Amino acid sequence: MNMLMETVVVLLILTNLMLLGTSRLFACIRLVAFQGVVLGCLPVLVHSGHVGARAVGLAVGTILLKGVVFPRLLFRALREANIRREVDPFVGYSVSIFAGILALAVSIWTTRHLTIPGPGVSTLIFPVSLFTILVGLFHIVSRRTAISQVLGYLVLENGIYTFAVVIVGEVPLMVELGVLLDIYVAVFVMGITIYHINREFDHIDADQLDSLKG
Amino acid sequence: MNPELLIVALLVLPAAGAGLCLLLPSPRAVFAAILACVAGMAALSAAAAAHVHTRGPVRTAWDWLFVDSLSTYNLLVMTLVFLMSSAAARQYFRGEDRLSPHLARRFGALWLGSLSGMNLVLISNSVGLMWVGMEAATLLTAFLVCIHRTQASLEATWKYLLICSVGIAFAFMGTLLTAASAHAPLLTPAESLLWTRLLEVAPRLDADTLKVGFVFLIVGYGTKAGLAPMHSWLPDAHSQAPAPVSAVFSGFMLSASLYCIMRFVPLVEAATGNSGWCLRFLVLFGVVSILVSAAFIVFQKDLKRLLAYSSVEHMGIIALGVGLGGLGTFAALFHTLNHSICKTLAFFCAGRLGQIYGTHDMSRLAGTVKRAPVCGSGLFWSFLALLGMAPFAIFMSELQILKAAADAGAWWPFSLFLLGAGIIFVGALRHAISMAWREPGEPGKPEEAVWEDVFLVVVPLVALAVLGLWMPELLKQMLWRAANTVAGSAR
Repeated sequence: MNMLMETVVVLLILTNLMLLGTSRLFACIRLVAFQGVVLGCLPVLVHSGHVGARAVGLAVGTILLKGVVFPRLLFRALREANIRREVDPFVGYSVSIFAGILALAVSIWTTRHLTIPGPGVSTLIFPVSLFTILVGLFHIVSRRTAISQVLGYLVLENGIYTFAVVIVGEVPLMVELGVLLDIYVAVFVMGITIYHINREFDHIDADQLDSLKG
Repeated sequence: MNPELLIVALLVLPAAGAGLCLLLPSPRAVFAAILACVAGMAALSAAAAAHVHTRGPVRTAWDWLFVDSLSTYNLLVMTLVFLMSSAAARQYFRGEDRLSPHLARRFGALWLGSLSGMNLVLISNSVGLMWVGMEAATLLTAFLVCIHRTQASLEATWKYLLICSVGIAFAFMGTLLTAASAHAPLLTPAESLLWTRLLEVAPRLDADTLKVGFVFLIVGYGTKAGLAPMHSWLPDAHSQAPAPVSAVFSGFMLSASLYCIMRFVPLVEAATGNSGWCLRFLVLFGVVSILVSAAFIVFQKDLKRLLAYSSVEHMGIIALGVGLGGLGTFAALFHTLNHSICKTLAFFCAGRLGQIYGTHDMSRLAGTVKRAPVCGSGLFWSFLALLGMAPFAIFMSELQILKAAADAGAWWPFSLFLLGAGIIFVGALRHAISMAWREPGEPGKPEEAVWEDVFLVVVPLVALAVLGLWMPELLKQMLWRAANTVAGSAR
């Protein structure tokens, strides 16, 4: 079990770094979907020994939502907007990857003194979830298109999800369902807004949404 | 009525009303349904408040729902804001011919939907459920910003959605860290999100984890509350949303997220040995918000953006009051009520003026007192009240916060608060006088006064003046109980 957990951690770090270095938006969506599927396995992996129906249900729900529904929504938005890649982001791709590595170092360094009480599943989980949150934030501020910003938001949510499943463990099912539903609606609402922005402005360049100031 | 049933009714009524709105045929019927539903909520909240006041907190639904004096007080403020702004919305959309039945149905459903989201925030005992309510309110109000779809309103919606979603995500991380700080054997995982259970074991929570969590919480919910420097979405959304929606944003949604922060204050205080660790953050964010908004108000050109920055200022004042503790918390809660009433009124007048003049640009809003006697003078008086002019109630609550700062010997916040409020007073009064009495370039026909408008303007102003001069004993007791809940001394 522990071995599998470490694999998940490594996959998480790799997908984050790859995302920072990818310009084609289709590939970005696939990467985030893959990350969602990997994370969907976490609820089953953390319970060594018996696996309850609750954990399986959560895993299936997460995989369906993050691996199937979100990518579909985003692919559709992408086709409507008729763009393929993130042209000319604020921060270049190689610099982004270096920033990512720096963020990883920072999250390991800042969390080394903080021991979260509870079962010590993997010492790397907290720093890696923090790293994922930082990558999500970085992706939101360093890219121009609205789609990339939604992807950044999803990565941020993935980071929080990792923490939730592994460290906190059994939060009541209703809360978890509420959270999943909220994220689903958030992405859905963002998708609709992107659709309307595309129709009104003829582009989805969030950088050019700058008429409101002061 | 059975108190537990009362809470469940509070939960169900607005959601049912939202569903009903989707089925109604005409805008008239939709607004009648909204008003009926909000009035029902007001009656239920009053009943809940009376019960809590006489017999203490109520828990139900396996401890998931819980009301105490802090939540009933906020429930009353919320229903008051919704009553005022629903009536205002009816007036506002009457002056607009663009509201088709389809749009009215959507407006009604979103309006009552966001009411039920904020209501869930107030009545839930589980901090997870509280978060769900806040997120739901955010998403539903996003569509209210762009009910009239223009480029500017879409831009505002996008910024609002993205910035607040990230903020709310941070708040969720903070909620999780709070749960993690109460790990077994202290509390079982199912209990570790229940506020009442957390409060019972608060001195034994893991202080370091909780501190990290509180930083996430104050940044997260602070974004939603519009505390500077996380306020950047606020002026855009407020200026683009229809005026009644802005009124609900400013009047209660911001206070609702401050309420979320207030729920965590006693937990962190008890866990850190009442050292005032988390209160210092609130003072810092409060003072920064006051100063930042002062800078933007002086050079503001747009009326609704000015009111939005004024909300940043007042949220800062409330945060500062809570951060000072004791009398400060009491005054901050009182300030919540005063600001909500006053800002709802100000946005109502600003919206009507915007419809009459066709713009919110303050350089083109001139001679409002002559052109629109009711709303023009209503706006002027609400400016005076917002700026803290005596005898309006905001003057009293700000004075009490200053007194709390002086008593605590917090001279830096004291003087910075005075400095910021002074700059805002001069800057905003200049705008207000110029709008009210400057000679207009093109003279327009004066608007006729409608009795509904007069009612909506006069009643809040009288209420503010009365509250400034005389505070009912009942309100005082309620406020002290709520303040003691935030201080962690009410068990």
